Amino acid sequence: MASKPIDWSQLWYPGPRRAFTADEMARAGSDRPSPTLLMMSGANVALMAFVFLQMAPPRETARLLALMVPLLLGAAALARWLWWRPWRGPLMVATLVWLALSVATALILRWGFPDREERHWMAILVGSTCSLVTVLQWFLVVWRAQQIEARLAQQAEREKALEMARRLAAAQLEPHFLFNTLASVQHWVQTKDDRAAPLLAALTGYLRATLPLFNRPLLAVGDELAAVERYLQVMQARMGARLDWSLEVEPALHTLTLPPGVLLTLVENAVVHGLEPQLGGGTLRLRGQRQGPGARFEVTDDGPGPGPALQEGLGLANLRHRLALTCGDNVRLSLGAAPGGGFRALLDVLAVPPGLAPPLQPGPPATPREKP
Amino acid sequence: MTRLLIADDEEAPREQLLAALRQAWPGAQVVATAVNGADAWDAYLEHEPEVCFLDIRMPGLSGIDVAQRIGAQAQVVFVTAYGDHALAAFDAGAADYLLKPVDPGRLAQTVQRVQARLARPADPAAHGAAPAQPPAPDLQALLRDLAAQVRRPAPLAVLQAAVGREVRLIRTDEVIFFESDSRYTRVVHEGPGGSGDALIRTPLKELLTQLDEAVFWQVHRSVIVNHRHIASAVRVDEGHMHLTLRGRPETLPVSRHFQAQFKGQ
Repeated sequence: MASKPIDWSQLWYPGPRRAFTADEMARAGSDRPSPTLLMMSGANVALMAFVFLQMAPPRETARLLALMVPLLLGAAALARWLWWRPWRGPLMVATLVWLALSVATALILRWGFPDREERHWMAILVGSTCSLVTVLQWFLVVWRAQQIEARLAQQAEREKALEMARRLAAAQLEPHFLFNTLASVQHWVQTKDDRAAPLLAALTGYLRATLPLFNRPLLAVGDELAAVERYLQVMQARMGARLDWSLEVEPALHTLTLPPGVLLTLVENAVVHGLEPQLGGGTLRLRGQRQGPGARFEVTDDGPGPGPALQEGLGLANLRHRLALTCGDNVRLSLGAAPGGGFRALLDVLAVPPGLAPPLQPGPPATPREKP
Repeated sequence: MTRLLIADDEEAPREQLLAALRQAWPGAQVVATAVNGADAWDAYLEHEPEVCFLDIRMPGLSGIDVAQRIGAQAQVVFVTAYGDHALAAFDAGAADYLLKPVDPGRLAQTVQRVQARLARPADPAAHGAAPAQPPAPDLQALLRDLAAQVRRPAPLAVLQAAVGREVRLIRTDEVIFFESDSRYTRVVHEGPGGSGDALIRTPLKELLTQLDEAVFWQVHRSVIVNHRHIASAVRVDEGHMHLTLRGRPETLPVSRHFQAQFKGQ
């Protein structure tokens, strides 16, 4: 771990550098000082005042109190002010105000106490109170800033966890897909259309394959392809002649494992963004071939292709995240225009890491599976 | 008899809504069903129905695009598979929405609401003692927000027209106007790349979804014009208007729906 450089500015401008925004203060710093904190501060001040009064010459007690009480009230007001703005700008202001109060006190001492000996005593007592308060102000600001920062960090952590959970849930099942499919099933059941049964079977197969899909860290390509095929069958029933598709993956690749949902996400993406928006629909192809020690999967559609500003949605961002976590540099995903027009997603598995999957066996070439 | 339009790109939901509407609203007549947004808009211009049931996610134009074009000239009911947050805003008033699969009870409610709105005088101020109504949410602004969330491909830059044995490439910014001509679309163009007439196979209603709306204005069900070439709009009588063009003899008809955009200032 690299050591942090010394922040020399703390010498002449001490205190936390981070100024919280009004929103941050509202979220993490809206609490008042706790009663315990107030009780402890009060007890300490009372103890200190008692010690000082014992040390001072007895006949000066009244005058000493008359000086100390307004000074301590001023200090309390400054502390209260700093509580709501614990960073170094306000701390500097408070320190300067406090300095002015101290100087004023020194002047009162100079003119109010003609006796040299007494003045000396009073100067020591009041002076030490003043420097003690300065240190306490600094301490208060540092402690309070750390408290707020810790709360903000905790909140951010919680929001991140929620966001991840939400993304994962969104990736698992697209409500549009589910309800649109159910609308078709319902209608065809009502009208006793023969298409209802196969569609329901495909949907069931899709749900059975995808619901436990994301619970596993890795999934064999063969199992994933079964889910992809179910998905395409459902979309086929809904889009009719507008959708044309084919899957050609070498059987040798079926034992390869990938994070679950990778191929399915790429296929869903191609259908939803490439083919569904086209008036005449289009064709989707998924190909998988061995390449060197690894493999290459290619999902192409003949839709409008990537726009000038390709935006990756939640599904793809989630996918990249999971690929990076599980496979690191071993898998590369590149998205862009297909050579003949349309969109292409290339998933290159550079080398199959030992332990991730059994070694690839030479096998028969892929037999294309297409829509019936 | 109230005239209805139904648009959904999927067959089963479209048929289901059609059947459900026959039950829930026997007094209405479905004058057109459309299989995508471009079709829906074209059918709207052709039939001018009073109520349009539009699926939101459709190829070509989305239901929201179509609703924006229709404006206040017909009642719109959105049909969607999944209630997005934004749709909840419609609950309040001006438009309505249905969830797929369509529930007969909910549809009956919607039909009632639409009927009530149809019965209401269009301009309450003109009818003296109309009861005070809560201000309707600004539907157009809502639609603009929703439309902004839909991704759209870049507008078409070049057209390919077969002229005899050559394929002519026509830059869209050199096009003066498009006119639909039975099975073809006639492209009248003029510019450094050449001038003249050409025919393309893309129907006008599909072309509409690919053109830059800021440049190309639809003025008639069968005419889209590059607004830079419009010289003037001439009102012939109450219902009729036509456009004259800069440096060209043709005049183009403006149908009733589009006349509002030429009202002078």
